[in-house]
Amino acid sequence: MINLAARDILHGWGKFVFTGVGLGLLIGVTLSMAGIYRGLVDDGKALLAIGGADLWVVQRDTLGPYAEPSSVRDDAYRSLLGIPGVAAAGNVTYLTMQIEHARGEVRVMLVGFQPGHPGEPGYLVAGRPITRSHYEAIADMRSGLSLNERIRIRRHEYIVVGLTRRMVSSGGDPMLFVPLKDAQEVQFLKDNDALVNERARSAANPAFNRPGVPGLLEAVQASQTNSHQVNVVLLRLAPDADETRVAEQIRRWKHLEAYTRADMDEILVAKLIATSARQIFMFLVILSVVSATIVAFIIYTMTLNKVREIAVLKLIGARNRTIALMILQQALGLGVIGFIVGRTAAALWAPIFPKYVLLLPGDAVRGALLVLLICALASVVAIRAALRVDPAAAIGG
Amino acid sequence: MAQPAIEINGLAKRYGEGDAAVDALKGVDMMIQPGEVVGLIGPSGSGKSTLLKCLGAVIEPTSGRMALAGKAIYDNGWKVTDLRALRRDRIGFVFQAPYLIPFLNVTDNVALLPMLAGLPNSQAREQARQMLAALDVGHRTQAQVRQLSGGEQQRVSIARALVNEPPIVLADEPTAPLDSERALTVIRILNQMAQRFQTAIIVVTHDEKIIPTFKRLYHIRDGRTFEAAGEGRAA
Ligand SMILES: Nc1ncnc2c1ncn2[C@@H]1O[C@H](COP(=O)(O)OP(=O)(O)O)[C@@H](O)[C@H]1O
Ligand SMILES: [Mg+2]
Repeated sequence: MINLAARDILHGWGKFVFTGVGLGLLIGVTLSMAGIYRGLVDDGKALLAIGGADLWVVQRDTLGPYAEPSSVRDDAYRSLLGIPGVAAAGNVTYLTMQIEHARGEVRVMLVGFQPGHPGEPGYLVAGRPITRSHYEAIADMRSGLSLNERIRIRRHEYIVVGLTRRMVSSGGDPMLFVPLKDAQEVQFLKDNDALVNERARSAANPAFNRPGVPGLLEAVQASQTNSHQVNVVLLRLAPDADETRVAEQIRRWKHLEAYTRADMDEILVAKLIATSARQIFMFLVILSVVSATIVAFIIYTMTLNKVREIAVLKLIGARNRTIALMILQQALGLGVIGFIVGRTAAALWAPIFPKYVLLLPGDAVRGALLVLLICALASVVAIRAALRVDPAAAIGG
Repeated sequence: MAQPAIEINGLAKRYGEGDAAVDALKGVDMMIQPGEVVGLIGPSGSGKSTLLKCLGAVIEPTSGRMALAGKAIYDNGWKVTDLRALRRDRIGFVFQAPYLIPFLNVTDNVALLPMLAGLPNSQAREQARQMLAALDVGHRTQAQVRQLSGGEQQRVSIARALVNEPPIVLADEPTAPLDSERALTVIRILNQMAQRFQTAIIVVTHDEKIIPTFKRLYHIRDGRTFEAAGEGRAA
């Protein structure tokens, strides 16, 4: 027996391939959406890997520092170091901001860290670590900054001394590492006008400016301008320490929240990325429905154009099964072309996406199966129409 | 005497029920011998197509009897379980237009029938080529359908009807779209093939050009058949 579906496709291949390519671009978009989701998860994992931390200590009752704002005093790390099992501690601040450089603007996550402590960028692809305590920066390649470039952040100029790769925030913004003190100043210090303003207001407040208490106003003003806050204290534990036990102790005695890597994973994926994931899922559903509609429509019109041939085939003794199989194979053929085009397109355009697109082979396999399933379902309408064709219709009325 | 290829007695067909019922066939009697080509003529709406569809086993008669080569296929009910196989193996069809499958080449259009009957592709194609050669289109076996002339297409469609060497062939106005010369050619071919394969052929027509060629004619009027001798002029 010859393959009727293949012959029909070859006979009208122009229309078929054209439709297949259109379907393929849709599938490409779908695969890219899945890739963007995978990229988000992967970015999250990379984010957690950066500082070499085992525990994240944040403000009580918050999901900080990535999913919610968190503020911890920067001297807390000293008492944390006293807990058995804690090997190292590092203060870290995070602030997403817009910075200007020679060729324009870039959105970065400014990370303040203490060199030599948890939270420092582990691996540099170029340059050197920060050695001075001020105004040096390490930038992620994604930012577009280059080595020895000078950039202005608020009131000061920094020089880029090192470059990293794949160090981005959960939002996909490239990281810019600077010494903790500088970052604290950027994050918690106000600009000159605000400063003067605040001092004047404190001075005008009778509670702070009491005639009988000399030095009170100055003390209040000093505490306002000081910045002794960080967003998180990263802890590295001794090899034999039990992270959940240490976390439990921190919660009980230090009035702080402590998250293990598994906790952070859960927060990033289940909470922070959840909305994006739902959004992407919605797109997947819509794109699947659109693809199914296209396949159904094309296969249905192809079938309607063949009603007479189908009647003749039935009259001369073709089984219903033979005809249904022909239509099903055409739908699947459309799916195969679409998938190949889509997978290729997704791979080709992934690098030009602003966000990281991670195309997993497993997703491709799942996508292929889904495409074939959708095509099979879409062919049902056409198959039903074909089975209703009356062989008597071939004989004139 | 040999068994008649086709024998029909008192065949009736009613479409619909109650007030809407139409008695398309009221009492059809026919007897056709192997190798015979007979004409079936009658005005529009007289029941020609209905009779062809009953004999072609695509619609079920209401009552009566039909036998092929002495074996009843219908006797107030189908006597054959697989009508599809009956059509495939024992009945050839020729339509008003060639109705070839446009996405198959000439050989495969014809070879499709033996393939549907389960023959291996190579054997089916060999059989098709032989039949195409018998119909003088052996040189077009590799052509696509759209590359053929109208006359060639009709020959290919006759080859398709004959390739399984069925005992009967039903032709439904096979010359309708053709000019006089081509119409006569088709009839000549049908006569030659009937002789060669001992096929009984019924040609439904109202084509004045070919009516004189039949040796025997059935008139059908108002659902009943009347037999008449034809002129039997050579086509
Ligand atoms: N499927 C059908 N349902 C109801 N009536 C039909 C149907 N097919 C044919 N008829 C009626 O049966 C009669 C015979 O029709 P038909 O066999 O097509 O005649 P012919 O082919 O000689 O023109 C006509 O009156 C026609 O209206
Ligand atoms: Mg008719």
